Amino acid sequence: MKVNPFRLRGGLAPLLIATVLLALFPLIGVPQNWLLYLFLFFIYLALANMWNWLAGYCGLISLCQPAFIGIGGYTLALMTWVGLPIWQGLIAGAIIAALFAVIISIPVFRLSGIYFAVGTLIVPELLRLFFLNWRPVGGLLYGKGAGYAVKGATTIPATDIYWLTLIICIGSVLMMRFILRSNLGLGLAAIRDNASSAASSGINVFKLKFYSFVGSAAITGLAGAAFYIQQGFIEPTSAFNVRWTMVLMLATVIGGVRLEEGPAVGAIIVVFLHFLLARYGGVSLLIQGVILVFIMLIAPQGIMGSVRRALSHRTPHLRRQPARTRG
Amino acid sequence: METPVLSVAGVTKHFGGLTAVKNFSFDVQPGEAIGLMGPNGAGKTTLVNIIYGIYKPDSGKIRFRGSNIGGLSPHRICHLGIARTYQIPQPFATLTALQNIIVAAIYGRGLSRPDAEKTAHEILEQLDLSPKKNTVTLDMDEVALKRLELARVLATRPSLLLIDEVAAGLTEEELPRILEILRNIRQAGVTILLIEHVMKVMTEAVDRIIVMDRGEKIAEGNPGDVMKDRKVIEAYLGEPE
Amino acid sequence: MGILLGGLYSLVALGLSLVFGVMKLINVAHGDLVLMSTYLAFSMMTSFGLDPILSLVIGMPVMFVIGFAIQRYLLNRAFKISMEAPLIIAFGISIILQNFYQIVWTPLSRGLTPSYAMLSFSIGGLNVPLVYGLDFAVSLIVMLALREFMKRTYVGQAINAASQDRGAAQLMGINANRVYAFAFAIAMVLAAIAGVFLGLTFPFTPQSGVSFLIIAFGVVVLGGLGSIAGTFIGGLVMGLAQTLGGYFIGTGAQMFVAYLIVFIVLGVRPQGIFGR
Ligand SMILES: Nc1ncnc2c1ncn2[C@@H]1O[C@H](COP(=O)(O)OP(=O)(O)O)[C@@H](O)[C@H]1O
Ligand SMILES: [Mg+2]
Repeated sequence: MKVNPFRLRGGLAPLLIATVLLALFPLIGVPQNWLLYLFLFFIYLALANMWNWLAGYCGLISLCQPAFIGIGGYTLALMTWVGLPIWQGLIAGAIIAALFAVIISIPVFRLSGIYFAVGTLIVPELLRLFFLNWRPVGGLLYGKGAGYAVKGATTIPATDIYWLTLIICIGSVLMMRFILRSNLGLGLAAIRDNASSAASSGINVFKLKFYSFVGSAAITGLAGAAFYIQQGFIEPTSAFNVRWTMVLMLATVIGGVRLEEGPAVGAIIVVFLHFLLARYGGVSLLIQGVILVFIMLIAPQGIMGSVRRALSHRTPHLRRQPARTRG
Repeated sequence: METPVLSVAGVTKHFGGLTAVKNFSFDVQPGEAIGLMGPNGAGKTTLVNIIYGIYKPDSGKIRFRGSNIGGLSPHRICHLGIARTYQIPQPFATLTALQNIIVAAIYGRGLSRPDAEKTAHEILEQLDLSPKKNTVTLDMDEVALKRLELARVLATRPSLLLIDEVAAGLTEEELPRILEILRNIRQAGVTILLIEHVMKVMTEAVDRIIVMDRGEKIAEGNPGDVMKDRKVIEAYLGEPE
Repeated sequence: MGILLGGLYSLVALGLSLVFGVMKLINVAHGDLVLMSTYLAFSMMTSFGLDPILSLVIGMPVMFVIGFAIQRYLLNRAFKISMEAPLIIAFGISIILQNFYQIVWTPLSRGLTPSYAMLSFSIGGLNVPLVYGLDFAVSLIVMLALREFMKRTYVGQAINAASQDRGAAQLMGINANRVYAFAFAIAMVLAAIAGVFLGLTFPFTPQSGVSFLIIAFGVVVLGGLGSIAGTFIGGLVMGLAQTLGGYFIGTGAQMFVAYLIVFIVLGVRPQGIFGR
């Protein structure tokens, strides 16, 4: 019997146990500090899962995830300013991020492969400059340009935010699980293996990638919005920052691109790194960059890829890429 | 006369200075099996690619059941009921044989997952691939891959099948089985355009042969006559096959 | 004015275009590597009082070596791993450099300001800063020199051959990895020159690399790849469009306008940028 990467791996039980345990943490007196790092872990994992969906399974190296994060955050902040409750802001953040993805897909989907990456790189920069130059009446609170407080964020207990992000995170895990076992996942696997063959087997390559792009944007926007509830305010330079891309790319690459469990393992390590390097500011990112380059050269299949290889001797082809006509 | 299933009219395609297909025309009638042969580099694969919307012809029209299909993308063409195999098999390398076919049944034919699985098992059985159904296609040999190629496109349930060299590289013993498979496909009512080098397959599997050389049609007729045609013999001189 | 700036932009894009032409990689760290030269010149100016343009005598060889090393030890390996690996590695380099600049030179906005940076001359009543004129003249010279180099030297011809057809070049006995390394190194020399003149023209921060990259990418999108003349024209169009856009919308939004142009061009060009 040959192993195949799309078979169900392990049951849902471990996930369920982990979820229950994590959900109990705030109640059994786990230190606040720990909860904060777990909060970061939840956000990073959700973001990394969404990036892995695009980069790992669709062959779309998206560098515009910060755009969705920022848009999610800004939508939330602005909604609280017009007096809507936080939960509506969260959902609106996801929706607006998805709509934005629809709009930018018009130009960026004309680009294939590596050009897609650079095309998407422009988007967060574009938004950053837009928001820096945007000063609606009464909006100027923090920093330069359009900084906004998330109104009412301070009244929300930290544990509620913790649970909220836990839900988003587990949601993203379940979503990936579902996608990979659905027809969409099978179609994406086919496209990645051989785009021209996929097209002549009736797969609308554009459509599947488009759905994925928009779906990924929605959850990324949601996670972004949740992050800014915790922060309490949003400001363009941090919202649309490439360091987001760095973090979610690092988490995915360390854990293993195109592996379902890769982002989870990677996100743990990234959060741990943040914990270790918290005091060093800029050096922290520099070191993360070095690690990214290093992992990519030494173990491009990531930790879980290496583990799987060691276990089965069969997975190496996962990295081998059959001829592909379009990205 | 009925509307032809496929009608290629005056198709020309240039690659830079090279004219790969030159003012090429032919019709395929419903239920017919047509052979397209010609030396290497004659432009046969290019013609299939044009029909399948991979290349845009410089001039000429492609009609399927009377309507123009020029400019449609491959997945649309697949949904119309045209399928094509690739000369060099193009499987989904990290998927199993079974999954390869399921993909095509789901996306090419719009089946639900359980129906697609059922169909896939049937087709694998039909093409003697059942023992390999759980093999990842990266690990399959060339002969099996050629079969799989055929299996995958059959899963889209085409009414017109374009086959680009399915018998090349097979041994003498393997030929009768592939001929039988082709016959079964025909019996199911599929119209076939068969591109082939192997004479035996050609003469036994098709009603009519079109011979192509350097992008042009040089002969057309029933297999017996075409083989005697002087121009055809000349075109093949110096060609090992 | 816009035209003069355009010369500078095409200079920034030249290295990007060269690297793309040869190894089909869009080097997302290009902007940050350009900025490296800017900071090198800045340090030499502040520490030793060396004139930024003269400091290129040191800057160019340094960048050559750095470029050679990056290609040789990082990217050449990455090409063997997967299609995405070089891109991700280039992204990593970009982050590393940005944060390195931030640590060494602080996030402050800096400028290369020798005595002549303030001078200006007038053409037809229009007051033009001297550096803008210099930018244009230098970019013209560099482009002509690059063209001659590609035509006349062995390395140039090898690079040309490799960019046209990898397989054929290998048949001719050209070692692709070496050619890549040379091409990248030469691209870095071009980046060195671009970096110094950018520094003379605009203030810069550790984050400026991203905007350099986007401008270079825009130029390449506009002008088409591989051709030196195309890059030049693309640069001019970019410079003009940005200046005009800034004029109508306000200079505060000049960069925004530039990015928007790049993005819109991407959407409008039916073939995708490099047409296939
Ligand atoms: N994409 C392409 N670009 C340039 N030339 C091509 C391309 N595809 C095919 N050709 C050329 O067109 C001619 C016909 O090729 P092909 O259709 O593959 O021939 P056949 O399938 O009959 O052996 C050959 O000379 C081939 O080199
Ligand atoms: Mg052929």
